Amino acid sequence: MRPDRSRSARGGGGGGDGGGGRDGRRGRRAFLGAAGGLAVAFAAGCGALPVIPKRPTPSAADAAAWIRFAGGRYTLTLPRVEMGQNVLTAMKRIACDELGVPWDRVDARLHGTRALPRVKASVGSDSIREFAIPLAQACATLRDALEAGHAAGVLAVRPRPMAELRAFERTAPRSPRSQPIEQGPAIVRGEALYAADVRRPGQRFGRVLRAPVSPELASRAVFLDEAAARSVPGFVALVRDPLLTQGRSEGVGIVATTPGALERIAAALAPRWSVDGSFESDDVVRALDLDARLARGALAHQPRLEPWHTTGVPDRTGPWDVDLHLDVPPAAHAPIEPRAAVAHWTAEGELHAWVGNQDVFYVADVIAARLGLDASRVHVQGMRVGGAFGGKTIATVELEAAVLARATGSAVKVQWTRSQEFACGFHRPPSRHRIRARLKDGRIEAWWHAFASSHILFTNAVLPAWLQRLTDVIGDDGVARGAVPPYRTGATRVEFDLVRLPILGGPWRGLGAGPNALAIESAMDALARAAGADPVAFRLAHVESPRLARVLRRARESAGGRSSATGPQRTGRGVACGIYKGGSFAAVIADVDVDPSDGTVRVRRMTCAHDCGRVVDADQVRAQCEGNLVWGLGMVLVESLPIGASSIGAASFADSPIPRMGEVPAMRIELVDDGDAPTGAGETAVVAAAGAVANAIFDAIGYRPQRVPVRPADVLAHLRASGRA
Amino acid sequence: MRLHVNGTWIELDDVWVDETLLSALREALGLVGAKFGCGAGLCGACTVLVDGRPQRACLLTAGASGAARIETIEGLARGDALHPVQQAWLDASVPQCGYCQAGQVMATVALLRVRPRPDDADIDTALAGHLCRCGTQQRIRDAVHRAAEASRGRA
Repeated sequence: MRPDRSRSARGGGGGGDGGGGRDGRRGRRAFLGAAGGLAVAFAAGCGALPVIPKRPTPSAADAAAWIRFAGGRYTLTLPRVEMGQNVLTAMKRIACDELGVPWDRVDARLHGTRALPRVKASVGSDSIREFAIPLAQACATLRDALEAGHAAGVLAVRPRPMAELRAFERTAPRSPRSQPIEQGPAIVRGEALYAADVRRPGQRFGRVLRAPVSPELASRAVFLDEAAARSVPGFVALVRDPLLTQGRSEGVGIVATTPGALERIAAALAPRWSVDGSFESDDVVRALDLDARLARGALAHQPRLEPWHTTGVPDRTGPWDVDLHLDVPPAAHAPIEPRAAVAHWTAEGELHAWVGNQDVFYVADVIAARLGLDASRVHVQGMRVGGAFGGKTIATVELEAAVLARATGSAVKVQWTRSQEFACGFHRPPSRHRIRARLKDGRIEAWWHAFASSHILFTNAVLPAWLQRLTDVIGDDGVARGAVPPYRTGATRVEFDLVRLPILGGPWRGLGAGPNALAIESAMDALARAAGADPVAFRLAHVESPRLARVLRRARESAGGRSSATGPQRTGRGVACGIYKGGSFAAVIADVDVDPSDGTVRVRRMTCAHDCGRVVDADQVRAQCEGNLVWGLGMVLVESLPIGASSIGAASFADSPIPRMGEVPAMRIELVDDGDAPTGAGETAVVAAAGAVANAIFDAIGYRPQRVPVRPADVLAHLRASGRA
Repeated sequence: MRLHVNGTWIELDDVWVDETLLSALREALGLVGAKFGCGAGLCGACTVLVDGRPQRACLLTAGASGAARIETIEGLARGDALHPVQQAWLDASVPQCGYCQAGQVMATVALLRVRPRPDDADIDTALAGHLCRCGTQQRIRDAVHRAAEASRGRA
């Protein structure tokens, strides 16, 4: 009995559908495959019940474990994962400022599962918002105890308010800002920092081969030339273990003495695969057919509106001043580091792993549950992560390394290939949007935003279909993120459908907020033009939050005058703004040049005003803003992950490009800090960056993108059709 | 077999002959600064200098690199004294995740040897094949100019 088949039978025969509630039976059956046969209880076989991550909210008491004093030195054990947000630097600043000690008195280190009580995943721009104040509280308690002459013992942290914490005083002496970022010197010296940099005695190299189809389709190897594989120099082991199943994709493990031998063994093994079912990219397009869904009635989910939104259903008969469609394709996280892990069994029978994952404790939970180990025998050490962006929140390569290490009794390193990152990772789900809105006397009177997407928090990369269906009662806050407009939009309706797709989708920087805000800000731009109003003034007339209004004004001041066109270029300026997770605010102004001869769009400059409350590390808040601007630019001009036959249709960066050096404009970041409690910067500006670029394109040539990324061919077609070429 | 790396001949077991130069550097020699990013020469994270030129170590075999002078990021500093490009990278606070930066640094070292005063277009061209997902491109440009300035001062 293959567990993946049993679940396949369950999924196909269980009577439910793929999650959307009303998607066409034909299309759904194509996704799930010709399961037929017996419906078998899902509990048969391993791996049926997913391990759900625990997400405890940190407290002052927890923070006692983050900072220690011994032998005249302080040790900060970072309760977060370091993945480029440079939170190691930010948290060390808080510790130094609160303790009142110089930078070199504090040693900052990354955590493993034995260094700290459990902390939740590093996701959602939560690190400063939720961990900064508890850390400062712990440091203040430690400082007071040392001043009082205590030298040993465990302290109970007093949860004092932010106003009593020195780390957040604007005028307090702050730790010097001339220090390089933590681990910066090690980065520029090429020292071992990342999971794949770990080398263990007797280490082997592993890989798990899978059918070249989506893990949503049940697949298995039906032929392996084992003899040929064994004859390859460097062959160590062929590992058949149900634990190597990812989703419904059965894996075949190979282990070798060198990385290159893995390629040769895989070629010699020449696996043939059997796959249940198939899909084409058109199936995905059809599954998300928004207008067909709307024609059938109300969509399944309505996020809670703000109290100041006018209640009541907008009159849907029209006419509408704006009726905007927007299609957003899947996109890859594309961190430059393909995920990696090293695992080994100690002489004491413990499993140790080094990982680059956003949730070190979750990885340990999965390994312990799947391998049937007591949690006390699993130790997972977090390493610096070479980019994650929401994509390294599940346990995949880590479990592969653990299984291969157990099978071979040696340390095993597994790093996914780039093609595995595309094929086996999850991605930003595609979404389709329609916003209809009406004006009355220059103000928005009615707003109706409908969209369809696949799940994000309840990702199909972790949840089988039957379990995901149980979540449909509550919807998916990740898909809904940022869908409620931050404007007084009159009679307002926001609704969406969740559709389980045959490709893997999940959290991607900003979750649903990026696509949702792009749709909202495109509609706001169109409404401003329909009202004959300046787009900044039009937004200011509708925003509810004074903090959002402030960043809008600040961005406008900072962007200065528009530059004039050079030669045949058409220039345009666009603005967009947004609120992320209720507490962070951004406004972006983009200046673009459009070349009417070849249809290329070049972003010349981006200006961002950003308010995430009290700024802990201005330089690194700016760095996060810069990253978000590049992501917003990429969303509108560059990024699309193609869907092929039963799989992701990309194997390399050539198939799924990301912005390059020459495409990244000059960026100016203005930080607003009025002393509010610190929030997050990791995803905020993406909600404004994409809209600013899209609206600048409209300003330049009158083209309102109905799908992204905008291709030169789209621009040229518009110019021809409008007689502007 | 042996490799000439950062000014020294180093002996390797012959099993590394058919491996990529990147694997040999990282796994046989423990020089892990160059990174595996794509295995296809499309991201630049594995860039090292081969006879002074930036090359993708994921596309070369170790066996074919035996006669060449190979420079990696580990060979740039002189003890505590960082190379001007390394120092500029810290001064401009370039790295976010840092994974692509060894390749960016090595490509910049090579650029400044042939073009000591690069303009932005030179930088964009020299680093066009070096991907950064975090969005450090503006800071990389800044750091290259800083390094060029510092190198002039030193020369």
